[in-house]
Amino acid sequence: MKNIFKSLKVSGKLLLLIGIIIGLFLFFAGKKATEYTSTDEFCQKCHVHPHAEASWKLSTHYNNKRGVYVHCVDCHLPPKGFPYLREKIKTGARDVWGKLFKDPAKINWEAKAQLDHAKKIVYKESCIHCHQNLFPIGLSEKGDKAHLYYSQHPDDLHCINCHLYVGHYNPNAKHEQSTDFAQGQETVNNIIYPAPAVVSKFENFTEFVPNTNVSFEMVAIPGGTFKMGSTEKEQLRKENEGPVREVTISPFFMGRVEVSWKEYLAFFNATASEGRLTQKDKEAKAKNVDAITGPTPPYGDPSQGWGKGDKPAITMTHHAAQVYCEWLSKRTGRKYRLPTEAEWEYACRAKSETPYFFPGNPKKYTENGFMKKIFGPDTSVIASHAIYKLNSGNKTQEPKSLKPNAFGLVNMLGNIKEFCSDYYAADAYSKTGKAVTNPKGPESGSEFVIRGGAFDSDASELRSATRDFTQTDKWLKTDPQIPKSIWWYSDVINVGFRVVCEPDSSILNK
Amino acid sequence: MKNFQISRRKFLGSAAAAGAITTLGTMATVGSAGLVTSCSGDTKKKKYNNIEELKLPPLLEKAPDGKPLKAGLVGCGGRGTGAAINFLKAGNGLSITAIADLFEDKIKDCREKLKKENNELTDDQCFLGFDAYEKVIASGVDIVILATPPHFRPKQFADAVNAGKHVFMEKPVAVDPVGARTIMAAAKKAESLGLTVVTGTQRRHQHDYVGTYKQIMDGAIGDIVGANCYWNQNMLWFRKKEASWSDMEAMIRDWVNWCWLSGDHIVEQHVHNIDVINWFTGKTPVKAVGFGARHRRVTGDQYDMFSIDYVYDNGLHMHSMCRQIDGTVNNVSEYIVGTNGMSNCKNTIYNPDGSVLWTFDYGKDEQGKPLEKTKISPYDQEHIDMVTAIRTNKPINEAEATAVSTLVGIMGRISAYTGKEVTWDEMMNSEIKLGPETYVLGPMDMTPKIPVPGEAKEEEKK
Repeated sequence: MKNIFKSLKVSGKLLLLIGIIIGLFLFFAGKKATEYTSTDEFCQKCHVHPHAEASWKLSTHYNNKRGVYVHCVDCHLPPKGFPYLREKIKTGARDVWGKLFKDPAKINWEAKAQLDHAKKIVYKESCIHCHQNLFPIGLSEKGDKAHLYYSQHPDDLHCINCHLYVGHYNPNAKHEQSTDFAQGQETVNNIIYPAPAVVSKFENFTEFVPNTNVSFEMVAIPGGTFKMGSTEKEQLRKENEGPVREVTISPFFMGRVEVSWKEYLAFFNATASEGRLTQKDKEAKAKNVDAITGPTPPYGDPSQGWGKGDKPAITMTHHAAQVYCEWLSKRTGRKYRLPTEAEWEYACRAKSETPYFFPGNPKKYTENGFMKKIFGPDTSVIASHAIYKLNSGNKTQEPKSLKPNAFGLVNMLGNIKEFCSDYYAADAYSKTGKAVTNPKGPESGSEFVIRGGAFDSDASELRSATRDFTQTDKWLKTDPQIPKSIWWYSDVINVGFRVVCEPDSSILNK
Repeated sequence: MKNFQISRRKFLGSAAAAGAITTLGTMATVGSAGLVTSCSGDTKKKKYNNIEELKLPPLLEKAPDGKPLKAGLVGCGGRGTGAAINFLKAGNGLSITAIADLFEDKIKDCREKLKKENNELTDDQCFLGFDAYEKVIASGVDIVILATPPHFRPKQFADAVNAGKHVFMEKPVAVDPVGARTIMAAAKKAESLGLTVVTGTQRRHQHDYVGTYKQIMDGAIGDIVGANCYWNQNMLWFRKKEASWSDMEAMIRDWVNWCWLSGDHIVEQHVHNIDVINWFTGKTPVKAVGFGARHRRVTGDQYDMFSIDYVYDNGLHMHSMCRQIDGTVNNVSEYIVGTNGMSNCKNTIYNPDGSVLWTFDYGKDEQGKPLEKTKISPYDQEHIDMVTAIRTNKPINEAEATAVSTLVGIMGRISAYTGKEVTWDEMMNSEIKLGPETYVLGPMDMTPKIPVPGEAKEEEKK
């Protein structure tokens, strides 16, 4: 018996020793493995997108005066510690999956460099781990303001909200006011229109903006009555889309497509103001209708480097869009304005009562849901009628390749979300009777209705009844100016607008 | 801002907990009194864990010896010259090696007074003009003393910090929101460089206030639930324009009567008391509604009195009042109410029934008579603390806290001028900036525009 105990004791010690040795081995091997799998070379074995490597080497995180290299994992993983290992396992698994099953040539790298995605793969803690002093000597006055704001609202912002291209250089990125934003526009023709269009009948016409080379098409939308909103039967609907009302709309003209950069920049060039306006200036200006003071130069590049021309103008504020309409009205002598929410939906539906003005249902088109992850959503019909998440390449597109709706309007449901003149209220529809004529929304409010999906929207948000609204504070988060711009949103890239024109009563009777 | 609040809030958290425990203790005592008469009302206080966390100055009687320190004075008026002399007395090896002002008579006066302190200045150490401060900063000094009218403070402070100088600057540190935020950002830079900044809020350097503060942080009155502060005094001085003066010169010589130069007296003077409440509560008010009026002033465009209701985020109200009118009752003090007592913040703590719980012990003079004031004047003490901080390499930096208190004063002023509610958020985003864009000793619009509540514009007045 004693011997057995003795040998057990010995073997116990032995086991302990072996355990320690294995433990140490695993610890060091694990450490080695972690180190090995955290080198730039290891990352780049799978991440074979040469652009990322090249742009990194041009960025301040590689090519700097101090001669310090900042490696892949320094930004794309949290600082060392438990979260580091956790995120490493998570992203590692994702990368292996991508490596095995995805074709790198088909991945939209440009879209992944945009802020929304970049925020998911760059860790703020890692930025702050190295950049410990937010107020170094020599920081500019604008930097002072921005970092002072950040130090008071650290949860509102990621460092890359402002410093997006510091890790991967982008030659087109601007971190300053673009005073030359409207310069160098291609002029396709040299015609300068001397006068606006002559409209004598209620039919489609091409408007000319006098003293510019800009023209655009307006579609005559006949008056009528329609069912506004969605019933509870509609797939993927939201509560704010009801109750359904019988809405009667008077005839009006509507832009065939969204206001393009070409059109918007004509306005910008004609009215741009140098300084920023205060609320007081704004009020003074409102009194003096003769002098239209337009946008200040934007901060950075509102077109996101996607090109201007016929692409829809984006990121101007709702106020700026309204001033655009004022300016256009003055120039043409016609009454241009933003559509009411009811006009917008009426024009979009073009007599249809289905979720979209084209065939198909939301559950079929949406990419949300488990089965969709495996088999992929149906894009057949929808893709020829709207620019949305699955056919946009995550940026705005020119509208020319798309099919119009029954009224002849293009891209009502996609490309960019469009401003309406109504204040937003979730319960706006229940505040009026069941049958209304030319409703205008609540009398007061703080945010405005926006309608239609955008290039980054899922098909479920593209339904004719979908309602959305502006979010002024959130959309001006990183504007480094105090006060914030009334002309350009700094933190939203999928909004713009389309104009409507009120027909003169004389032409309606013809 | 955040950091500075966190450390204090963290501390206050424990103080609040202490207060809650004390309250519970009292309730238990009261509740059981009818049953068990022997139960004593012993309320145990929770001691603060770490006195370091209070960030209190060491309050030595004299600064320790060390590397000789040279200071430059910007603004040679009464307070500036006074501050320079306070500095010279703070320890050994201290000298003033450059001075600057806009007016020659001020330079001359200051030179004479400093000479009496055995600090002689040569002609080329004296600088004249709006940009003279730059020459002082560039003259090789270690410390810059900023004592011009407050309007000029933000730019001068930012420049001094960028040049890596320690700073003594007088309160208030700005007259408008833009200036206050300039100070806040520069304060962060000073902090990152380890510079010492003392700001003339001398109550933070008074043995009696500091002693009371420790008691209150210990939970002596429980949780702070109400506060008052006062600066009610007689008329302040004014200067009428002399024929030989330009408008600008006349305004600057009469600066305590012009809002763009002083910030009005709620900011210029009353900031002291507001700062004490912010210091004791560890909080910043979130909004203000105030009254104010002008009845007796002779020159300038300022009010004679303000009465402001400040609200903090936890619902605590601070009533602040200040007045500068002859023949009225005077009162310069603070008062806080806690869940378990009251205090004047200066030297006395009261039980809830009004009886005295604790008083600060000022010590005795050579004849053995009890003293009624601190042995060392707080004006000297703040310079002793500054030199001590520099020489022991334990920086103190009051710039941000004073910028916050200054902006709280500005918030109250704007509310009184306009009659509107003004929020802290508005102040942190406001672009109100008073005074001319450039400074020339020449013509100015000297017609006083006195704000009328209900009519005053958003931009207040220039």
